[in-house]
Amino acid sequence: MSHEDEGWLEDGIREVLIRPEEIAARVQELGRQISLDYAGRELVMIGVLKGVLFFMADLLRCVTVPVEVDFLAVSSYSHKNDRQGGVRLLKDLEISIEGRHVLFVEDMVDTGLTLNYLLRNLQARQPASLEVCAFLNKSKNRLMEIPLKYRGFDVPDRFVVGYGLDYREQYRNLPFIGLLKGDRL
Amino acid sequence: MHPAEVVFARILDFYGIAWQYEPRTFPLEWDEQKRVTLAFTPDFYLPDQDLYIELTTLRPRLSTLKNRKMRRMAELYPDVHIKLLKRREMRDLMIKFGLYDEAEKLLGTEAQMMEEEVEDVARG
Repeated sequence: MSHEDEGWLEDGIREVLIRPEEIAARVQELGRQISLDYAGRELVMIGVLKGVLFFMADLLRCVTVPVEVDFLAVSSYSHKNDRQGGVRLLKDLEISIEGRHVLFVEDMVDTGLTLNYLLRNLQARQPASLEVCAFLNKSKNRLMEIPLKYRGFDVPDRFVVGYGLDYREQYRNLPFIGLLKGDRL
Repeated sequence: MHPAEVVFARILDFYGIAWQYEPRTFPLEWDEQKRVTLAFTPDFYLPDQDLYIELTTLRPRLSTLKNRKMRRMAELYPDVHIKLLKRREMRDLMIKFGLYDEAEKLLGTEAQMMEEEVEDVARG
């Protein structure tokens, strides 16, 4: 364990689940596989803000085929949004995906509710293909069966933070995936 | 509906997922006269996913009856897909959707949960 890890562990993190070097190696493998699979095709990678920020940035740099990137932002469920109806796009794509090969990049797939909604939304725009790359897969709570073509890590049914994932908007900047101490939840 | 079920139903509505509330009861055990002595009514059914969902806010040590029902369900209705969302999973789901107050409430009120267990037994 490094001194940096110890610092984080004193600040609410109980355990490091996936270390930075493991993340880097896996992201590189994913980038290599994606580059092979999409060879000869132009790729559009799409992510949802904000959790996917670090994964998208690292993955993009490991992809060697021509690629465009764009982001969506969607409203999360809350009592306020509940009164306003369903999911709203807070930021839509700026590029058209019609007839293009789209790879949807997710930080973590858990219940699949948000991903299910977003894939329906993207499919309606008639891309040539639409696949999913998830950094973390927490399958125990999956309610919507969604094929994940690319998967970084399977994680246990625990609340994880770091590498873009937050708890109350904190901990996104951790360079690893960690478990919070119980008293933080 | 239990408050946690209300929140869950609203989340499903928010994401445009079709759902039904307690649409089917599954008999699990019978006495000598073939009368049903134990039954299970999952809380939600998602028709598009063909998936039943049972929510529980009970502490693990109070979940014995529900676990027994889930085991019997698997034995008698192996083709029926059921997902049990336990207390911690419900809490994490609420945190994920920004419902911090609801998540904190879920961790309290053990007395209420014990009452719910008693009701559960009474319903069979």
